[in-house]
Amino acid sequence: MRRTTRSLSLLSGGSTSCTRSPSPFMRGTSEASEGARLRFSTDGGDGSRVKIFDRDLKRKQRDRAAWLMRPGDCFIDSVAENLLDRLEDCKKTFPTALCLGGSLEAVRRLLRGRGAIQKLIMMDMSCDMIQQCKGREQDKSDKNIETLHVVGDEEFLPMKESSLDLVLSCLGLHWTNDLPGAMIQCKLALKPDGLFLAAILGGETLKELRMACTIAQMEREGGISPRISPLAQVRDAGNLLTRAGFSLPGVDVDEYVVRYKSALELIEHLRAMGETNALLQRVPILKRETALATAAIYESMFAAEDGTIPATFQVIYMTGWKDHPTQPKAKQRGSATISFKDIRKQFGDGS
Amino acid sequence: MVRASFTLLKDVAASTGFAKSLSEFLVCPLSKQPLRFCEKTNSLISEAIGVSFPIKNGIPCLVPKDGKILGSDDVAELASGSRNS
Repeated sequence: MRRTTRSLSLLSGGSTSCTRSPSPFMRGTSEASEGARLRFSTDGGDGSRVKIFDRDLKRKQRDRAAWLMRPGDCFIDSVAENLLDRLEDCKKTFPTALCLGGSLEAVRRLLRGRGAIQKLIMMDMSCDMIQQCKGREQDKSDKNIETLHVVGDEEFLPMKESSLDLVLSCLGLHWTNDLPGAMIQCKLALKPDGLFLAAILGGETLKELRMACTIAQMEREGGISPRISPLAQVRDAGNLLTRAGFSLPGVDVDEYVVRYKSALELIEHLRAMGETNALLQRVPILKRETALATAAIYESMFAAEDGTIPATFQVIYMTGWKDHPTQPKAKQRGSATISFKDIRKQFGDGS
Repeated sequence: MVRASFTLLKDVAASTGFAKSLSEFLVCPLSKQPLRFCEKTNSLISEAIGVSFPIKNGIPCLVPKDGKILGSDDVAELASGSRNS
């Protein structure tokens, strides 16, 4: 047991550091030109981009997911609902909104006039996904929202500078190779005082599967290969928001435990969400034996008394605003005119 | 055959409509420069980097991989070239 946990932390620790801090890889390539080039993305220039995910494969997976999708997926619906709920907390209205990849369908269905959105641009990298979205548009009850569709890549956002009031992303951004870059582009596309609202999967997601995969691979193949992608940690999320230059950043975390009848059903669900392995360094073959061993280990380690198996999904919600003079701001360091000593005198030093 | 071409025409008409209402938001994903709509090839052209992005079923595809690099020939030749490929 001890050994497995160690190898697990090796797996996740090693890979997370690789996702979120691309600097060690690109150092020395184009450090001088960095400032000039890094306006839209944080890669080091032409050839030195750190690639963790196979975006082409992800595109295919999302094409496939468009056909496998189950409308009314509990997990996706509750995440989308939770995300959209945040719009009700703002007094501001958002006439133009952009909805980035992930669960577009759920967002569109559950929007129900929240945020007073008039124009909603739906963007995904999968053609089929967008086609389906457009097809479903006809049988929507609220037709007062003008919905526009575009196929685009989050890493290369095709949106005009300061043209949007809201950028929404529900479970999509964790597949970007360059998350800070994608967020910087979102910020550029926002109008001043525009809102960036995103839900991504966090590092605790599928920890059971991670463990089961590792053990099964060690047992059957004598080594491990990454099967589950490195995901952002909660502390990274805050850093990401500030790095992208959002003001009033807010991060909160929710953990959902979904119960499945068997491990295979979990995989089916993941496939329907388009959340299957798209790591560039993946081993393309999964032996039947290993797969079955993983399922067996999963069931023996985590199954509940009633035979169902739990899978944890950690969702990180990120909120950030684009700068605007009316927003509350901290004063500059050293600009205080009142000493803390005086305040203490004023209020007594009881505490 | 006649019907086929008719629906094709209708598709083109529908797609141009969509492209226009979207065009106030869209820019080239790579250069962030404005895009020009080309009715002939039904595509969006980024003149800054010389790439054309297709419009399929009225949905502009602005993934960099979908773009076609335009040669230095004149526009008419470009149009026929992109139709052939």
